Amino acid sequence: MRLLHRSRLALGLALVVAALAALPVMAQERGITPTEIILGTTAPLSGPAAPWGATARGIEAYLQYINEQGGIHGRTIRFEIRDDGYQPPRAVANVLELVERVGVFGIVGMIGSANAAAVRDYIFQNEVIWMTPAVESDPWIGNPNIHYLFVTYPNYYQEAKILARYAVQELGKQRVAIIYQNDQYGMNGLRGVRDALAELGMAPVAEVSYELTDVDLSVHALRIGQARADAVILYATPNHGAMAAAALAQLNPRPQILSSFTLADPIMARLAGAAWDGVIVPSYFPYPGTDEKVDRVLQILVERNPELAAMAFNALAGVTFIEPMLEGFRRAGPNLTKESFVAAMESIQNWDGELLRGVTFGPGRRQGINRIFLARMEGGVPHQLTDWIEYPVEY
Amino acid sequence: MQLIQKYEEEMALVRGWAGWMGVALLAAALLAAPWFLRGYQLYIANIIGSKIIVAIGLNLLVGYTGQISLGHVGFVAIGAYAATHFVTAFQKAAAFQWLGGPFWVALLVGGAAAAVFGVLVGLPALRLEGPYLSIVTLGFGLAVQQLLINWPAVSGGRIGLFVPTARIGPWLLNSHQSMYFLVWTCVVLLSLVAFNLTRSHVGRAFVALRDSDIAAEVTGVNLRYYKTLAFAVSAFYAGFGGALEAYVVRYLEPTMFNLYESIYYLAMVVVGGLGTIPGSMFGATLLTLLQFGLSQAQEYLPVVYGAVVILVMTIEPLGLYGRWLKIKLWSKTWPL
Amino acid sequence: MFFWQLVVSGLSIGSLYALVSLGIVLLYRTSRVLNFAHGEMSMIATMVAYSLLTAGGVAFGPAAVLTLAVAFAAGASFYFLVLRPVKEATLLGQIITTAGFALVLSGMAVVIWGADTKVLPFPLSRAVIYNIGGVFVNQVALGSFVVALVAMLGLYLLVQKTRFGLAMRAVSQNDVAARVLGIPVRRVFAVTWGVSATLGAIAGMLLAPVTLVHPSMMFDPFLKGFAGAVLGGLDSLPGAIVGSLIIGVVENLFGGYVSTSLRTTVAFLIIIAVLLVRPEGLFGHKFMRRV
Repeated sequence: MRLLHRSRLALGLALVVAALAALPVMAQERGITPTEIILGTTAPLSGPAAPWGATARGIEAYLQYINEQGGIHGRTIRFEIRDDGYQPPRAVANVLELVERVGVFGIVGMIGSANAAAVRDYIFQNEVIWMTPAVESDPWIGNPNIHYLFVTYPNYYQEAKILARYAVQELGKQRVAIIYQNDQYGMNGLRGVRDALAELGMAPVAEVSYELTDVDLSVHALRIGQARADAVILYATPNHGAMAAAALAQLNPRPQILSSFTLADPIMARLAGAAWDGVIVPSYFPYPGTDEKVDRVLQILVERNPELAAMAFNALAGVTFIEPMLEGFRRAGPNLTKESFVAAMESIQNWDGELLRGVTFGPGRRQGINRIFLARMEGGVPHQLTDWIEYPVEY
Repeated sequence: MQLIQKYEEEMALVRGWAGWMGVALLAAALLAAPWFLRGYQLYIANIIGSKIIVAIGLNLLVGYTGQISLGHVGFVAIGAYAATHFVTAFQKAAAFQWLGGPFWVALLVGGAAAAVFGVLVGLPALRLEGPYLSIVTLGFGLAVQQLLINWPAVSGGRIGLFVPTARIGPWLLNSHQSMYFLVWTCVVLLSLVAFNLTRSHVGRAFVALRDSDIAAEVTGVNLRYYKTLAFAVSAFYAGFGGALEAYVVRYLEPTMFNLYESIYYLAMVVVGGLGTIPGSMFGATLLTLLQFGLSQAQEYLPVVYGAVVILVMTIEPLGLYGRWLKIKLWSKTWPL
Repeated sequence: MFFWQLVVSGLSIGSLYALVSLGIVLLYRTSRVLNFAHGEMSMIATMVAYSLLTAGGVAFGPAAVLTLAVAFAAGASFYFLVLRPVKEATLLGQIITTAGFALVLSGMAVVIWGADTKVLPFPLSRAVIYNIGGVFVNQVALGSFVVALVAMLGLYLLVQKTRFGLAMRAVSQNDVAARVLGIPVRRVFAVTWGVSATLGAIAGMLLAPVTLVHPSMMFDPFLKGFAGAVLGGLDSLPGAIVGSLIIGVVENLFGGYVSTSLRTTVAFLIIIAVLLVRPEGLFGHKFMRRV
């Protein structure tokens, strides 16, 4: 009897396997039916990078809102999310499944340079629409295969150059150091800082890296203190950014922190407390709390998924990934095909969305935005320091 | 029930007509699979194949020799990177261009490179045991990953390392289907080698030093030789599996080789059944399918994965293979 | 001065590793099980403390006590609910079960509390800095160092000076003999799990102001605690403390003078070197086995 019971369990497992092999839904143009547009993404929803999964949740909540408004030209948008645990092999499996079984029209966003690099060739070969993988720009610059790729994400390298120049030229800092995450994201920041300082005839006085698993950044701060740096450029995740700021705040005199836009998160003031006061942070869309439209979007998201309140920046960033795509759908009209979508996207010129401002694509231009602005944080409230600072369009 | 009369029968891989039927069915299923599975399912099947090879190797170490490795992913990484760099270097040499990268040599190079490190890691094993040994292997796994992160010449730096397509002469193995045949041929071959190893004097020496190394030494088993050999063989399998996985995923990045992966490999071996080769196959298949097939479970995935591990260990302390033995016994005595 | 500053901050993080390490060693001594879920159990306890302090509106003192009680109960019930049923499994099977449990817990943490980083309201502040002979120490580091010392002292008294501690030591030497002598072995195991989880909860709450609270906050402290335990000798409680402090200091000195990117690797290299000279760790007992 017990044996029988357990073999039922085995049967259950077999059914799960069989369900995985279920037949697909085929459409004439992949991912477009008269009533529906199917999009998909793979994101780290579990594992150490899980906070970035909030970008996918933000997209999901925003699309729910769009669907509640009746969708676009009579089509609602279905959004399929897969977990990759920040592992390239799993990201590949997810993208293959989304394209071949689910049959998505496009892949939206994707977190992690490694994951994006692993699926890059497959997506290009199969001519899948790809909206804004949240990675650095290197893989796209000079790449002839990016016809179906559209990116509205700032370039870390260019941003780092702007930060370093601002520290030296506007703030008059003489000893610039950098704390960076030891991965592709941080390395791009490091390269930018080095290059910008070299152009000014200087070099970083300290280059301190940390690992994603590090829990105590006091040594890193002590090294900055030892190098007598008067400005520190920070390329970090929010919790490491907060840890670094708290540790740097114990130095005397305290160096000026300039951070990457990934820390333009309202949560930073809560995580780092007073240590975050005076930090200079760039952004590529208006900060929540300073712009009515942005606040309205955030409200829309939080109403549909209350958990996003604690991850406001990541959720909003998710919306910036998809926002221009929705405009593309609107412009392409009811006869949506892959080519009409590309043509519609290329017609977007200096377009203001709810979050993004001044998005421009065009034939041969896939980089939708090429500017950031800087602000100084005081008590969690940003005070804008500069107007938009542009950098050259690269692809 | 069958009566075993001769030692050869006891040692036979496949027993009786039922056994041969089973093997034939399995072989037919494996051969037919590419025509029934879709692209992404073949990709997952290929990943499973490469994990099976690593798991079998780890089982030779943990299950047969009783030495715990918490850093097996280090060997997997070494195999993957060694194979990729070998092929790339080979392709650059003009004289050999017409050959493409001879992937079969690359797979062996991957395995051999890992085996060299296996011997090195095995040396402390001569003095250490249990958790003390596990911390050495853990340190090794972490060190490999950290070195890769900090050594851009090897890891490919900011954009990672792309793996060239495997090719046999002019025939490019660029589809999941062709990779499927490559991977599963390797799985079958390496499983047979492992089977034969375990039923040879080497396998018996492994088991002897697992059960009691002092007693084994007294009976004339050369501890130093066999412990090191176990590490080398196990690392070879890991490196070979890693090289295959590199060809399947076609991209390498140090984050792929983190501590969690080592624990997943260990879980495959234990969930499948320690000291049995089919067990490693079951374990690697089940746990890889869970991870790759249930990505729709999203943030619940680790919960499901962990719960399955606990469940298997609760219902079946000997792992899936123990369950398989019971089912076999039950079917033999049926309809009693 | 830079040197001493590094040493002091190394001791301060090392004392937290030591708390993690003690929980691991306590359990290993008694049951020979390496608990891979130790870090995740501490993380969940910290999440519980977070919920009590924010959503629950409980004051810090009562919340901390309540959290420790919850951790104790959870540790003991983990033994009864999960580890007892797998007692037939091999030792490695039990260890893998704890690893499976670790995955379940980290998944649950994301599902229940979300993956975002949180701040545990803490009565001490990092912004308050004391100058002790030219070396700067912040209030949190000082406070957690003191609490860690008190916890270690409490553990010492429990193990060495109480009847229960005697039972624990008896079980760790030979659980069959202990059972014959009428020691309630299962209860001893359960309480040991409870105490170990409580130590973990203290470590988690003290780490919270440094690492902030998120589902993978305990990954590295667990690893360092485990390494410290092995370095000191897995069956020695003082060894765990010394080993963890050494790791904290070495890591900081290497990070301060050489490189911050390979410091974990170097910490492990040193451990391996020590183990090659003393295979049973700095304070561990030599292996003795019957053949």
